[in-house]
Parts: sequence; structure tokens; C-alpha cells
Amino acid sequence: MLMTKALTKAVAATILFLGAAGAAVAGEAVAPGGTAAKTRPVVAVIPKGTTHEFWKTVHAGAMKAGSEEGADIIWQGPAKEDDRKGQIEVVQNFTSRGLDAIVLAPLDETALARPVEAAVKRGIPVVIIDSDLKSKAFSSFVATDNFAAGTLAAQHMAEALAAKGGPASGRAAEPVGNVLVMRYLEGSASNSNRENGFLEGLKKFAPKAVVVSSNQYAGVTAESALKTAQNLLNKYPDIAGIFTPNGPTAFGMLRALQIAGRSKQVKLIGFDATEPLLAAMKTGEVAGLVVQDPFRMGYLGVKTALAAKRGEKVEARLDTGARFIWAAEVDLPDVQALVHPDLKKWLGN
Amino acid sequence: MKPGLRTLAPYLGLAAAYLLFSLLAPAAFHGAYNLKTILTQSVIVGIGALGMTFVIISGGIDLSVGSLIACATVLLARALNLGHEPLPGWLPWAALAAATGCGAIGGVLNGFITARFRLAAFIVTLGTMQIYRGGAKWLAAEQTVTAPATWLNGLMEVDAGPRWLWIAPGVWLLLALTAAVAVVLRYTVFGRHVYALGSNEAAARLCGVPVALRRIQIYALGGAFAGIAGAMQFANLTLGDPTAAEGMELDIVAAVVIGGGSLRGGEGRAAGSLIGALLMAVLRNGCNMAGIPNYLQNIVVGAIIIGAVGLDRLGARGSRA
Repeated sequence: MLMTKALTKAVAATILFLGAAGAAVAGEAVAPGGTAAKTRPVVAVIPKGTTHEFWKTVHAGAMKAGSEEGADIIWQGPAKEDDRKGQIEVVQNFTSRGLDAIVLAPLDETALARPVEAAVKRGIPVVIIDSDLKSKAFSSFVATDNFAAGTLAAQHMAEALAAKGGPASGRAAEPVGNVLVMRYLEGSASNSNRENGFLEGLKKFAPKAVVVSSNQYAGVTAESALKTAQNLLNKYPDIAGIFTPNGPTAFGMLRALQIAGRSKQVKLIGFDATEPLLAAMKTGEVAGLVVQDPFRMGYLGVKTALAAKRGEKVEARLDTGARFIWAAEVDLPDVQALVHPDLKKWLGN
Repeated sequence: MKPGLRTLAPYLGLAAAYLLFSLLAPAAFHGAYNLKTILTQSVIVGIGALGMTFVIISGGIDLSVGSLIACATVLLARALNLGHEPLPGWLPWAALAAATGCGAIGGVLNGFITARFRLAAFIVTLGTMQIYRGGAKWLAAEQTVTAPATWLNGLMEVDAGPRWLWIAPGVWLLLALTAAVAVVLRYTVFGRHVYALGSNEAAARLCGVPVALRRIQIYALGGAFAGIAGAMQFANLTLGDPTAAEGMELDIVAAVVIGGGSLRGGEGRAAGSLIGALLMAVLRNGCNMAGIPNYLQNIVVGAIIIGAVGLDRLGARGSRA
């Protein structure tokens, strides 16, 4: 049992070193929460996580709405991304604090329903953004129509496959070939709608294309997506087109294709305009991207929440729209305005 | 159990954290509703930590509890789906028993491998952590499992269903279990054996303590508590989630250690573990309330874990002098 003791010491050390570097920084943790002027409304915006660029853009949009409305925005995600319990606790804590409104991007369509209902019961209007929630309590749902956005991707996948198979087939381009869909995460409503929209759309726009795999989940991180993508690519040597439903899955797939030396042979259509994907558009390694408007999502989310707080009638469903961008279009000014909104202006760094 | 600063350390830590956030966070932090919120949020880690208290006192560790919690949520949801509307009244109870039993069986396996093959608990439970996580995903067919609504969903409501309860039923359960564990540890032969095992296993064996049997029982208890924590997690999420509680085993170990448990074995208290779980809930809640960004939250929580344990060691030195 000597081994046990040495090992338990190692565990102790691991636990104890969780945040050793931080004691000095912790001193600066004084937030002005308690001193906010009573007259300014306070809106909490709760993303699914805080490290993805998508959410930073949502944050910027929320800040813009806040400055227009004279409201304070509190930006707070779950301590661990992909942690349903953590996000529930953030919602509970803000409910308990008694804010003017909550804007929430739920990590799970079922698990967040009760905390949201508890908030509404305590007189805090809730606006849901990005992903739907199985509840009738909230004021409005402000998001991309993900199913339609997935169908949009399928329509362009058909075009890409047609262009690819064109000369060989002799006649005007029929979309054929093996297509792969790598899904994101079990229980994520927004992503499964995109995936299903794509699969439905493909049946319509490219009935001869074959979906070889559409039941593998990549997981939340680019790292886990890369592993899944490599395994899928090894299994299917002959792939013409790939659809991935968001930034991390697209990036994981892109890296897997690069490592396997197949990035120029496969038409990869991704979702969301993250920097690595935009860069890969310029080298032709990503064929196209469906781009949402997260800035507008944050902006309209806060605007709608404040309107609901004032007792105004708000739309139950607001579509923030999606647009397809081919690799060749990436430098167009209107595309740049969409994919590079002025974050510095709103987030200050 | 030596009295003094050593026993008081977790309580002082909790009081200090509460005072700190009273200054940083808005007035609502003191409110009764927020107090209830914090209590509710400490239930899952708290119940897990009570089971872990047995394991750590006996000189072991169980890294598989997070995965066992996930297994329990999934199994509970699956069990509820077996009934047809209207659900028979006994079904939620049976599902609850299944969740607890699933944790206990996982624990028996942990204890058996550790005791029978004399392997390090750290390694054994590191392995079963993966195995049980895989089991949860398999049971759930790799997705979240929705379940029909039952009274189980109300166990973790911040505003308890019947007004006279005042706090969530889950909190009452946590308090009752804490009292039960304290009594078992202090006044039963089994409890004394747990301390004896952790203090000096060889001596315990010579004194006729059935070491292997006790180990299996201890891990089974730890697992059963993880199963109950899983039922609370289910009530919290209202669904079975095979990815639930990933990494929670470390929160649970931290709660026990903050509460005075020693990873060298032989030390630990039920009430201390409860206080440890409360302290971590206060930290998360306070950081949210004060609007402290996530990266600072991680740093603050980490620093306070070290601080609490450091205070503990200081106390140990003081009482020896």
C-alpha cells in the first residue's frame, strides 16, 4: 500500500495546484456589481461558453444594445463549457440576485427549462438565443433558423459536388459522390437541426449523393473533433463532400484532412466564420461556410429582453438569418463586415 | 478527533468566503432565496463527498464517482421510461433504488479489485472511471435520455414545492445523510474500523479487522452515495445525461479535503465534508453574483482550496506544539 500513499500524495498535489498562480490576481477580482446605479437596468447574458469567437461576437452585439439602451450588461458563462449543471447554477445565481432580464443560450433544451421557469416566476423576463428550449415560459427566441441554414449548406454542397463530377460525367453536372456528416454533440438542438436540415436538403438537391456516415459525434472541443474526424477519414477513403455543423467540428475536420493530405480533394462545408476556417478558405481547403450573424443575435437578444421587461409585446420568434459564402467570396467587403464585426469598439481590447 | 483550529478551519473558511462576497457582491447575496440557492447547489457534490469521506478516511480514493453519477442519471431516466402513462406510484421509488444500486455495484467492483488484487485505488478507479463513463454512454445510446415528469423533478427546486419544507427536499436529504454518516463513523464498530484501516492497515489486520471485506463495503458505500448524488443530478437536469459530472470527482475530493479529510487516511469528518461542499458552492455563487469573469473564478476557487488546506496544516502544527 506504499504505492497508494505515494499516489495519493500526487493527487493531493494535483488538487492543490489547481490555481496556485492566481492568488495575486485574485486581489483584483473586485467587480462593481454592488455599486451599479439603481436607475440603469442590468441584463445578464449567459453564453454556452466564453472562449469561442462566436460568443465574443454575441458579447459585442449585446454591448452595443446595452449602450443604446443605457443598460449594464453582465457577461457570464458556465465555469466549465459543456457543463449543464454549471450553466443551471449561473441562471439560478442571477435569478437569486434579481436582475432586470436574462438572455440565455441554453446548453441543453431540457435541462435549462426549470431554472428559466424559476427566473420567470420571480419576475425576470428571459430571452433565449442561439438554441431552443423546451419551455413556454420565456419571452422570445432569437436565433438563426438552423434547419434552414443546414438546408442552405446542402444546396451549396450539391453545387460543389456537381462542379467536381462535371467533366467526367460528360453532361451538365449531376451532384454525385460520397458525403460525410460529422455531428457535434448529443442533445444540442441548434446543431442537430443544422445536421438534419443538411441531410434533408441533400436528399432534395443531390438525390444521387450517398451519405456514408451521419451518426458520429465529434464532442465539444476541436481536439475531440480531430480524433473523430481522423477515425472517420480512415474508415472512408473515398469522400467527395463533408458537412460539419459548427466552428470546432469544422476545424477538427479541416486539421484531419490536412494531416491526411486530403484537404484539396474533399469539398468541406463548415459552419460559422472562425479565423482558422477563413484562412483555410483562402487556400481552398474549405469550400464554403454557412455564416450566422452572432452580433445581431446578441444585439437583438438584449433589445428584446429589455422590451419584454418594459412590458412591451415582443415577437415569439426572431430569425437572425444565415448566409452562404464560397471560398472565392471571402474578401468581399460585405462578407468582411459580417465575419469581422468591430469587436474592439464594443469589448474594448 | 483533535479539537481546535484543525476542526474549525473549514468553518472559518466558509465564514471568510461568505464575508468576502458580502462585501463584493450585491445585497441580494444575503437574501433568503440566495441562501436556498447555495444550499441546493451544494447537494450533489455534498452527497458525493459524504460517500467519499468513508473512502478517504480508510486511506483510499475513488476517482470513478463522477462517472457513477452519470450512470445513475441515465439508469434512472431509463427506468422511468419503462412505465406507461399514468406511471405507477412505485416506479419513481424503484428508479431511485436502481440509481443507488447501480452506484453501489460500481463501488463493490472498485473495492473488490482494490482489495483482492492489492492494486492502488488511484489506478483502479482511474480505470473504472473510464469504464463507467463508457457504460453510461452505452446505456444512454450516446445521447441524453428524456424521462416523463415525476415528483423526482421537484427534489432540487430552489423554492420547494410544499412551502413548509422551506428548502429543496434534496437539501434535507443531504442534512439527514450527513447526520447518519457522522453517527456511523463515530459510534459504530464499522466506523471505527474505517478509521483503523486508514491509520494503520497492518495494525488493523492484526487486531482482527476483516480488511478486504471492509474495503469492499467502504467502496460500495461510496458508490451508493454517488448513486444518490446521481439521482439529485437527474432531478437537477430532469434528464439522464451520460456526460454529466465529468470532473466532479475532483470537486468531491476537494470538498472532503477542505473539510479536514487527509489523503494519507485516518482523518475526516462528515460535517467537515458538508462544509467543504458548501464552501465551493458559496465561491461559485459569489463569483457569479459579483460578476467575476470565469478565468478569475477558476483561479479564486483553486487558491481557496490551497488556502483552506494550508490553514488546516497550520492548525495541525499549532495543536502539536
